[in-house]
Parts: sequence; C-alpha cells; structure tokens
Amino acid sequence: MQRRDFLTASGGITTAWLLAACGSRGPKGAEKLLKYAMRKNEVLERGLFRHTSMDSPSSRWRNAGIALPKYYISDTVPVWDVAARGTWTLEISGLVKNPLTLTMDMLQKLPRITQRVNHFCVEGWTAVETWTGCRVSDLARAAGASPDAHYVDFQSFDNDYHESWDIESAMHPQTLICYGLDGKMLEAGHGAPARLFSPVKLGYKNTKYLTKIVFMPSRNGGYWSDQGYEWYGGT
Amino acid sequence: MAVDRHHWFVRLTHWVNAIALVIMIGSGLQIFNAYPMFARRGEAFCCYPFAGHSIPHWATFGGWLAGARNWHFAMMWLFLLNGVAYTIFIYLHGEWRDLVPRRGDIRDSREMIKFYLFLRKRHPHQGKHNALQKGTYFALPILAALAVITGLAVWKPVSLAPLTNLMGGYVYARYWHFLVMLALVVLSVVHIFMVFAVDPYSIRSIVTGKYNPERAPELRDGRPFYHLFRRARSDADAEA
Repeated sequence: MQRRDFLTASGGITTAWLLAACGSRGPKGAEKLLKYAMRKNEVLERGLFRHTSMDSPSSRWRNAGIALPKYYISDTVPVWDVAARGTWTLEISGLVKNPLTLTMDMLQKLPRITQRVNHFCVEGWTAVETWTGCRVSDLARAAGASPDAHYVDFQSFDNDYHESWDIESAMHPQTLICYGLDGKMLEAGHGAPARLFSPVKLGYKNTKYLTKIVFMPSRNGGYWSDQGYEWYGGT
Repeated sequence: MAVDRHHWFVRLTHWVNAIALVIMIGSGLQIFNAYPMFARRGEAFCCYPFAGHSIPHWATFGGWLAGARNWHFAMMWLFLLNGVAYTIFIYLHGEWRDLVPRRGDIRDSREMIKFYLFLRKRHPHQGKHNALQKGTYFALPILAALAVITGLAVWKPVSLAPLTNLMGGYVYARYWHFLVMLALVVLSVVHIFMVFAVDPYSIRSIVTGKYNPERAPELRDGRPFYHLFRRARSDADAEA
C-alpha cells in the first residue's frame, strides 16, 4: 500500500468512525480515561474553590416557589414516622470531640441563616429559592470536628440515600442544614424535617431527609456518585 | 503536478478537532436532553421555540446523562489543547496570513455570493481560499473559543460567578453555549457540503497534504455541483 492510499484510507476510516459515533455510548475501553479525566477535573475544581466565591441570584429572577421539583428515590414521599421511629433527631458523629444528637428545637436555636440562592441541577435547570437553616460549619464547631476530618457524609432516611462531600465545600458559608423554605417549614416533598442545601454543589449532592452527618478521614461515595455521576459535583 | 497545500500539523489538528467536536456536540446534546429547554424553574424563557422537544437519539453521544457528562468533561481538554496547538502553530508558521480578514474581503465575499447565484459568470480571483472560506475559517476558531468560555460559565457558575454573571447568569450562559454550538454546526455542515459539492479534490489535501492546482475551483469556475469534472479553462478561454 502506498503512503497516499494509506492516508486516504485513514481519512475514510476516521469519517466512518465519526458516522458510527451517532447515538452511541462510546467505546467501553475509554471508561478508564474518562475516570482519569474526572479525577484531574476534581483537582482543578478544588483548586478553583473559594469560601469567598458566593452565589447571589439577581433580584430580577423570580423564586421558583411551587415550580421547584419534588424529588426522592423512595416510591412514595418519605415521611418520618414518629410512632415507629420516635422523635426525629440529627446525629453528628465520626471524627468529632463531642458527638451530638440534635432535636429540631436545638437545631433551630443555632445561629439562623436565611439565604436566597440558586439550585443547580445536574440536568441543567436552575431554580431560585430562599432557604432557612444553620451553617454546617457551625455544627462542625459545636461538635468539635477533628482536623483529620477531610470528608463529611450526609445520610438520609430516604432509602439509605447519602452523599459524601469534601470538607471545604461542607464548610462553605452558604452550605446549610435547612428546615425552612420560602419562609415556611420545609415540606415532605422537599426533604423535611431537614435537608442539606448549598449552591456550591449540584442538586444530587444535597441530601434530603437528613438523619446523620458523619465526619470522616476518607470519602465514601454516594447514591448518584456510585452510579457514574461526578463525586465532586461542584459548581 | 500536485503541490503541497496543508502542513502535516494542520492536517493532524483538523482531524483531531473533527473527532473532538463530534463528541463534544453529541455529548452536549445528550446532556441537553435531560432538560431540553432554558427557562429557570417558575419562569418563562423568551427565545427558544423548541422547548420540551428532545434532540433525536442519533445526534447524541454518551448514552445517558452521566455518561455524556463524563465524555463532555474529558473531551473538552482534547478540544481545547488541540485548538490552542493549532492556533499557536498557524501563528508561528505563517498560515494565519491566509485567514485573517483584510480590506476588500467584504467586497470579495459579495462577488463570491454573486458567482454562486449565477449573477456573475467567472469565479472571482482568489488566493489559497476564496473570501467566503477565509471568513469561515477565521470565524471557526473564534466560535470554538466562545464555546469554551461559555462552557466554563455553565460548568462553574459559583466558582467563576463573575464570568457567568457577565453572560447574564446561568440560564443565558447555557443559552449562549447552545447558540455557539449551533453556529459551529451550521458552519461545519456548510464546510462539508462545499467540500463535496465544489472542491472534492481538496479532500486529498487535508489527508495527504497534496493538491492539484489545475483542479482548483477558480480554474473550473466551480459552483456547487457545477463543473466538478471540468478541466482547467485554457488561457485562451480566460482571455475571451
């Protein structure tokens, strides 16, 4: 085969490959490379992350109100059953000096923040909402989180849904444990009694129906991160 | 009689870009299908008539949302680095001279359009590229750069909040990202159409680098599907 023929053939193969790519999932062998890129992207994203980078939606944008989708993985809206499980509490444990078990009353006595922020969904939509709750950083201080706690796991009673976070994102001033939405107590469809919410992470990282916050030396994945979505999921 | 037309580095970056661009667009459309509209929840969006209509499956890549995101966020590096390498190369090697706009390009473009519309008999005189090609090849890298910048604004709307705000917020950043993609698709489709309809002999030049100047559209008075196989007109014809 002459060089020219070879080059023409390779051009043809490239074109055929481009056509074959239509509607495809891509080659299986590429998965390692994609994972590698995901890890490198995470390094870059964590490098860009600042506690001073705040999300502030324009006042011209409307709050989503009832247009905010309700989302959970159980078949029906998860509701905390007091008769079966007793009073709902939020447990803070792991690498902390004083593990805490907080009732809703205790949670509401912590410094209260109300913030109007964007909700960035992995699907590509956004919604503006006004959330009320307390900072995760205040909880970490109250529990005396250890400097060895590089990760935090947020667990729920929605079919064991959980997502673990890097400590920097969890300590961001806009990362809250929320019990109020738009001036009312959180509804069951949005994660009542309390949920995690921060604009610095995509929606799926923000665990609803919260029961436990565990400070950890290493990450332990999450419901969607284990299925192929980025573990970091940062904005 | 073939002459060298495209440096091997230009040919390499052209084909790497073709692959990267197809994957970026396919995976981008798959991501778009997770929410095929632009409106913020609880608001309406002014300027997208196809809200709610999914992009057809054949035009997508990555299979599902996470798969497409992983491809998009990996392939963006190939797209970016390849584009930067191409730009640096044509700057150092001089090819940029055939692409940057000059005085008279608007007039020459008008003449090319007239020629394609049969309002002018003879193909206008040209250098390496005709005026319309020049404009396209100059616009493509600029659009690619805009695709990267608007993409960054969609990817990191909090970390790069000033960039996203500059574009009118996340909703509009996503919209500009989509429109830039659309412009890239339109120019690429026209480019591929013109290659086959006007100058299929140039395919050789983007693969092996060689080009037969006697087959140049200027000498054939080549319009889409016209004079594809014509020999170069003789000087006597040219005088007439």
